[in-house]
Amino acid sequence: MQERIRNFSIIAHIDHGKSTLADRILEKCGSVSEREMKDQLLDSMDIERERGITIKLNAVELKYKDYILHLIDTPGHVDFSYEVSRSLASCEGAILVVDASQGIEAQTLANFYLALENNLEIIPVINKIDLPNADIEKVSKELCEIGFNKEEIICCSGKTGEGIESLLDAVVERISPPKKGSDNLRALIFDSYFDSYRGVIALIRVVDGSIKVGDKVKMLSTGSVYEVLELGKNTPKDKKVSSLVSGEVGYLSASIKSISDINVGDTVCLLGKEEEALPGYKPMKPMVYCGIYPIESNKYEALKEALLKLKLNDSSLIFEPETSVALGFGFRCGFLGLLHMEIIEERIEREFNIEIIATSPSVIYEVLLSDESSVLIDSPSKMPEATKIKKVLEPFVKTSIFVPSEYIGAVMEICQDKRGIYLSMEYLDSGRVNIHYELPLSEIVYDFFDKLKSNTSGYASMDYEIIGYKESNLVKLDILINGSVVDALSVIVHKDFAYKRGKKVVENLKKIIPRQMFVVPIQAAIGTKIISREDIPAMRKNVLAKCYGGDISRKRKLLEKQKEGKKRMKQVGNVSIPQEAFLSVLSVDE
Amino acid sequence: MRSVYIHIPFCRSICSYCDFCKMIYNDLWANDYLDALLKEIEKYYEGDLIKTIYIGGGTPSSLSLPLLNKLFEIIKIFKLSPLNEITFELNVDDINEDILKILKENNVNRISVGIQSFNNKKLKFLNRKHNSKDIFKKIKLLKSYGFDNINVDFMYALPVEDMYIFKKDLKKFIKLGVEHISTYSLIIEDNTALKINNVKPIDETLDYLMYKYIIKKLRKKGYNHYEVSNFAKVGHQSSHNLVYWNNEEYYGFGLGSHGYINDVRYENVKNLVKYLDGEYRKEEYIVSLKEDMENEVIFGLRKLEGINIRKFFEKYDKNIQDVFNIEKALKNKYLILENEYLKIPEGKIYVMNEILNMIIK
Repeated sequence: MQERIRNFSIIAHIDHGKSTLADRILEKCGSVSEREMKDQLLDSMDIERERGITIKLNAVELKYKDYILHLIDTPGHVDFSYEVSRSLASCEGAILVVDASQGIEAQTLANFYLALENNLEIIPVINKIDLPNADIEKVSKELCEIGFNKEEIICCSGKTGEGIESLLDAVVERISPPKKGSDNLRALIFDSYFDSYRGVIALIRVVDGSIKVGDKVKMLSTGSVYEVLELGKNTPKDKKVSSLVSGEVGYLSASIKSISDINVGDTVCLLGKEEEALPGYKPMKPMVYCGIYPIESNKYEALKEALLKLKLNDSSLIFEPETSVALGFGFRCGFLGLLHMEIIEERIEREFNIEIIATSPSVIYEVLLSDESSVLIDSPSKMPEATKIKKVLEPFVKTSIFVPSEYIGAVMEICQDKRGIYLSMEYLDSGRVNIHYELPLSEIVYDFFDKLKSNTSGYASMDYEIIGYKESNLVKLDILINGSVVDALSVIVHKDFAYKRGKKVVENLKKIIPRQMFVVPIQAAIGTKIISREDIPAMRKNVLAKCYGGDISRKRKLLEKQKEGKKRMKQVGNVSIPQEAFLSVLSVDE
Repeated sequence: MRSVYIHIPFCRSICSYCDFCKMIYNDLWANDYLDALLKEIEKYYEGDLIKTIYIGGGTPSSLSLPLLNKLFEIIKIFKLSPLNEITFELNVDDINEDILKILKENNVNRISVGIQSFNNKKLKFLNRKHNSKDIFKKIKLLKSYGFDNINVDFMYALPVEDMYIFKKDLKKFIKLGVEHISTYSLIIEDNTALKINNVKPIDETLDYLMYKYIIKKLRKKGYNHYEVSNFAKVGHQSSHNLVYWNNEEYYGFGLGSHGYINDVRYENVKNLVKYLDGEYRKEEYIVSLKEDMENEVIFGLRKLEGINIRKFFEKYDKNIQDVFNIEKALKNKYLILENEYLKIPEGKIYVMNEILNMIIK
């Protein structure tokens, strides 16, 4: 049985056609009829389909010839490399997909190295060979440069289905079956999600032994014990089974009510036959923090519930309660990166129907105080008084930016603007380079990706690794509206940029905040020093000039609309501030 | 006592800003329309005493003389109070001896003339067809027929206008020496030529400065500012329009008109074919107590004199300060309470929506 199982992942740079390729594989294995086929079948979240990206990993069982294949889909974006490493840990092999028109990109390499670390058999695939600008020759050369043989490479098209069969044959031939170990059960929890009927569902890979319905199992790290109520496989529809054996991937339901009883990376054993825990995952540390607040304060509990549920199958999300003078009660949340943050925000609004305000993202700063103690700061509002600070350290990253050589200048200009320190540059081939810069992470979390993409006509791709903390001349920039500091608008910036930034934020706010019944001054300040000021003039006109018999319902509608608009704003003192204002501190560049 | 509004939906040309129910004049349709109008009145009029009638449009003066006589025959159905006010809307171009004779014979005692502007650039922008040179002559003719309660409409805050054009224009309106002036800051309504052509309103500060100037100038010339946009010499406030602002009941007859009878607010159909077929009402609903009290405030505070809080108590058996959040507004001087009248100070009336949103719960 185990001889006929193959566990594999597909890894790729974002947009290289991974999910489409998975669709073709599913079709080829006959696990979905043409009628059921929709694009990006494994991407079950609306956001995934709309954005055309994969966020969550997904596992599915397929039948090919006499073999059972477990395909574990992975996200391509750098923010989700945690998910990637989790999928890879439950595999013996990986398909490395490279776009025939793009070649190797930053995350192709990042994922390739992850797969190597996990000792996986890697099958190099050149995808999208149907494209008119496909350059198979060039891409094969690139693959050979990172250590593949030309003969290993498989060319295919996720669009037309060409080459899919040889790819599946390669999976069967080259990837080894799961190793046979002890007879005692050891299963790895690699993901979990919440189902309103069945409670917490754990996705597991059985490494050793077998598990069946009715077994009493123990989670090694939490120590909690459950009776297995249901086991199943995703084919890609859920299919109940009575047992799962070593090498197999499936789900486990045991009416687990508490989210905290399940740790992704934990090992499941039979009660009384506990074995040594499997190597878990190194959880990724959140790098970007922001405050999330419900627009309507009575939604606080609902927001808390939503975050707990999201955390259940996204353990990289962290949060703790936070209170803002301007925004009331909310949460300080930590994310892997900006895209991760955006996705979580969108899921809260969409899946849980809670309207939220997110404050501008921040990294974790280390502040050394004059009394030689030090504190970690994940929010500008926690910054100690300037007089008590000896120095401030911030995280730096080393980038790998892949770009056609004609954009070297453009990339260097952006990096230079973002306080970057040039390290080195390598030519990948005559037309493409990999540029290494040392950059403060805080600069990257603002709008670095957007700038990089727009200034290189979308050609640049990037990956980065944290290289440590360094001292920077940082200050806290406060924004005052009508004389009082709005804590949610404060940011930590480099002193050299503070003036320009303060001016821009103040100008933006002037445009966004509607006129009020009185003049509203908006100021930017460092400590007690005001560095910029704009005044919003008092409202002059808000009246229906003409109002007779026929205008009565219209007048009521107008008032209701205005009242509704007011409700969506946050009251800070006497001033109504629209939500966009809290995002405006983000978009300070022209 | 109730009032009556009668809508004549026909016009000789369509103005760029107008979102009233209107269509180009056609004699046959107009004739059929009056027949249907009579049927509607016969169906709904309860035979009660009427204090004001307002014939508006569209353009009532677009009717041919025989049809005009027919209209006045229909109106005879109403039982009028001795102290009545009958208003008829006229376009400048339509003012002539024949029409004035008919109006006089039928006891019309208030005239409203849609002048809008003396400035040709403004008139062109509004797609008003009359010539600014004729206006003085026409108003003189009106007066010579003994009409001594005349309103003129004045539009301002047009994108084609600056402070200079505006002041010159207003000066001419004052020179007409009429009893009543309605001033309207341009509203760009949906489904109008202006909206379709993506015309943008002028800067709100300039708009406000123009409004402030109107108030100052007209006061100096003896006009009393009695409603957001309306100014009248002593004893010449529009009794009919005060019915709306006092939240009193009125019949609305004709295509697309609105009415408020027996606690029901209704809107008539806007489709001429349906109307001619005897289908009059499009929508009607009973006004709840809460909405009624809100209307009292929303419309009552348009009057500079404000709302009589004793009368409010007598009407609803509730104190106005228990129904609305007025305390804070009073403290901030957005409202003032003076001799039993709750009102918005004149300097704040142009932002009254903001104040209404503050006080309505």
